[in-house]
Amino acid sequence: MAAPPNLPPPDKLLEMAEQYLKELEKGPWPSHVAEIRKTGYPLHVYGVGLVARKSPWGPSAVKAKRLTGVLARIARDWVPKGGEEVHFRVFHTPGRFLPTSYLRGIIKVAREYGIGLVEVVGQTGAMVINVRSKEVGDAMIEALRQVGTDVGGSGDAIRELNTCVGPALCEFALYDTLKWFTEFRKDKKIHDAIAVPGFPYKFKIKFSGCPMDCGRANRADLGFIGTWKGAPEVDQELLRKKIEAGEVDPNDLVSKCAGGAISWDAEKKELKIDGSRCKKCMYCIRKAYPAIKPGKERRVAVVVGGGSKGRYGPKLGWFVGYLKPDEVQKGIELVFKVIEPWDKEAQAKVRVGDYILMTGLYQFIEKTGIQLEDTPKLVEKLPDNVPYRVLPEEERKKYAQFAEELRRAVGI
Amino acid sequence: MSAIQLNIPNELDRFLPDIVKRNYGKWKERKFHGPGIIEHVSETGERVFTVKAALPPNARVSVDTLEKFADIADKLGVGALRITIAGNVEFITDSLEKALKIREELEKLGFPVGGWGGALWGINTCTAFLTCQIAVIDAPSIGKALGDALKPYFTGEEKLPAKLRVFISGCPSGCAGGTAIDIAIVGMWGAPPKIREEVLPLCMPPPKALAKIPESQVFLVQVCPTGALTLRREGEKIKLVLVGEKCINCGRCKDNCDAFDYDPKDVGAAILIGGKMANTGVGPRLARVLIPWIPANPPRYDEIIAVVKKVVDVWKKHGRPGERLADFVERIGWAKFVELVGAPKMAAQYLWWPDAARTYLTYRARGEVIFKGFRDAP
Repeated sequence: MAAPPNLPPPDKLLEMAEQYLKELEKGPWPSHVAEIRKTGYPLHVYGVGLVARKSPWGPSAVKAKRLTGVLARIARDWVPKGGEEVHFRVFHTPGRFLPTSYLRGIIKVAREYGIGLVEVVGQTGAMVINVRSKEVGDAMIEALRQVGTDVGGSGDAIRELNTCVGPALCEFALYDTLKWFTEFRKDKKIHDAIAVPGFPYKFKIKFSGCPMDCGRANRADLGFIGTWKGAPEVDQELLRKKIEAGEVDPNDLVSKCAGGAISWDAEKKELKIDGSRCKKCMYCIRKAYPAIKPGKERRVAVVVGGGSKGRYGPKLGWFVGYLKPDEVQKGIELVFKVIEPWDKEAQAKVRVGDYILMTGLYQFIEKTGIQLEDTPKLVEKLPDNVPYRVLPEEERKKYAQFAEELRRAVGI
Repeated sequence: MSAIQLNIPNELDRFLPDIVKRNYGKWKERKFHGPGIIEHVSETGERVFTVKAALPPNARVSVDTLEKFADIADKLGVGALRITIAGNVEFITDSLEKALKIREELEKLGFPVGGWGGALWGINTCTAFLTCQIAVIDAPSIGKALGDALKPYFTGEEKLPAKLRVFISGCPSGCAGGTAIDIAIVGMWGAPPKIREEVLPLCMPPPKALAKIPESQVFLVQVCPTGALTLRREGEKIKLVLVGEKCINCGRCKDNCDAFDYDPKDVGAAILIGGKMANTGVGPRLARVLIPWIPANPPRYDEIIAVVKKVVDVWKKHGRPGERLADFVERIGWAKFVELVGAPKMAAQYLWWPDAARTYLTYRARGEVIFKGFRDAP
C-alpha cells in the first residue's frame, strides 16, 4: 500500500509512534505493548502503523519445508528503519491444557529461535509463535517437533481443529469432545488435508459439548454440537430438596423456558417437561443441575456452512442431522463427504456456506450424500407457492389413489 | 496428495493434569467463589478450582510472562494451565486457599482476575497492525482502550445482567471470531477502495492470456460479491473499473490483491450488537449493525468506547437478570433499543436496505424457508 498522505518526516514519525505506544501502556487492563516491549518484536513498525492509521505490513515469504502454518510479513517502504515479522501457527494441545513441562519446552524454543513472543491462542485456535528471522524457520520446526508439536493450518486447507473443554472440566458435556478432537487429528486423511492446501478456501471443524456452544461450532464449516432427544430428565426428589433449600425457583424455570415446555404442579410438587416443545436451551439444566439433567438419548448435531469470511458474509451453520456420541468414524467420513462437491464445483475463495447458499441446502445434501438421523428431507421442494403445473401421469395416479383411499376411509 | 508428516500433539493422557484425568466426565456441581474463581465438584469427591485471568489484547504474551505463569502453576497449581478461546488464561488447582493465592499473584503481575457469570468474559481481538497486511484499523489497541474502560465489569466490581463478550476485528473479514457476539467492533474502509494501477498487473493474468479470457473468468472480478468490480476493454487496453455505489466495503478484493488501497481519513469502525452463539434464550444469531461507521482515533478511541459504554449502560439498566444482550434486544425490539441508545438516525439507514441484499456484514434472506439451526430440529 502506498504511504498515507501528510505523513510526518521519519524522525517525527518515530517520536509520535513512541508517544502512542506509551499511551497504550497506561491503564488497568494488561497491555500488549508492555508485553511486546519485553521481546524482540519491531515495535516501532506497529507504532508507525498507529500514527499512519494504516497497516504497516506488506506481504513477504519464508523458505521452510512446510506448506501450511508459515506466515511472513515485511514492513512497507514508508516505515522508517523497516522490519520483518515471521510467525508460525503451532498446533495446540487437546482442550488447550498446557502442562508446565510442555509449556517450558515451548518457551525454550520461542527464546532460542524466536523473538520471545507467543500469541497463546490465535483466532483459529492455534498457538502463534514469532520466529527470529526467515533463516531459522526449519530449525525451529525441528525444535518444535522435539517438544511434541508441529506447524500447520493456514491457507486453503483444514485449519487447526477447535474444541470446548468438554468432559475434562465441564459437567454439561454431552459427548466426549476431546476424544473426538484427538481421533479427528489422528486420522490420516484429515492429517494430510491439514498439511497440504488444496480446497477452494479454508475449512474449519469445531466441537462443542452442549448447545451452549462454547466451542463456537455453529460458526464452523463443519460443527459438531452435543445435544439430546426429547425432554431433559428430572429427578423430582432432588429438585424438591433444591426448591426447599431456595436454590431453585420453579416459577423462574417455567417463565424462562425458551420453548414454553415446562409446567410446575404446585400441589404435587412436580415439574413436567414436554419433550416435543423443548428447544434444548439448557436454561433449566443450568439452574437446577443435577436435579434436571439432559435426556439419556444423547446425540451429536451436525451443522454445516457457518463462518464469517466468504462471499456472502457471516452466517451460522445449517443443521444436517444427528450422529451418535460414539460414531467418531462416521464424523470423519462426513468431513470428506462435505468437502467433495464443494471442492469439485466451487470457485476459489468460496466457503462451504457460500456454496450451500448458491446450490441450496437440499441439493447440497443430495450431492454430498449425507444420510444421517433426521437429515432434512425435500419438504421445501413442494411447489406450494406455484398454483398450477402440469403433473406427470404417475403423479396423477397417486392423487387418484389417495382420493380412493380417502373415500373408503370416510365411507362414501 | 502427498503426505507431509506432521507431529501433532494429540495424546490426551499426556496433556491432561492427573486430577482432571481422574475425574474426567464425572463432574456434578459448580460453585463460584467471587469473580474469577470457579469450583468443580466431582462424583469422586475431589474438587478442582479454576482461576481465570485476562491476557493482553490478542493474547500476546512474552515468554518471560509465560515463564512466570508456569512458575505459578508449578508452585500453587497442579502443574498445568489452560488457555481459553476468548484469550483468557485459567489456572487449575485443588484448594480454595491456593486459588486465592493464585489470584493475588496474578493481580500483582497486572492480570485482572474475573469473568464468569454476569460479567465481561473477555475481549477478543484479531492481530491487525501487529502482523496483518489487510487490517483497516488496529484492533489490539482498541481492545486495550476498551479493556481499561470495562475492567470493573470483568473483575466483578460492577455487575451485568449476563455474560458479555466483545470481539474486535480490524476489517470485515472478522478474524476475531465473526459477528455472532454481543458487541462486535469491525474495521471499515468508509469509502470505496482506490486501485493502484501500478500494482494491479501482479494480481492479473498476463496480458496475452487476459485478452483471450472472458471478463467473468478474471479472478479479481469473480471475487467481488456485488459486481462492483468490472473489467472494461477499450480496444487493446484493459482497465479494472470500480463502481463506488455498488461497493459494500467487504474487503474481499483487498484480501486477494495488494493493489486496493484506502485513505486513512475515511477509515472507521462499525459497531454490531446482539449476536450470540449459545442456544439459550432466543437461540444463536448474528449481530446487527447499530452504527455503520464511527471514527476510530488511536490511541484511546474515545468515540468507540463511548458507544460501547452507552450500550452496556442501557442493557444494564433495562435488562432482566440472566438476559443476554441479544435476548434483551429481542424482547424490547430493535427500534426501542436503538432509541434507548440514542442512535435512531444512524440505524435507520439499515431499515430501508433490502433484506435480501447483502449489507456489508450480514446476509439475510427474507422469510427463510430452510431452518437454520439445530435448535428447532425435529
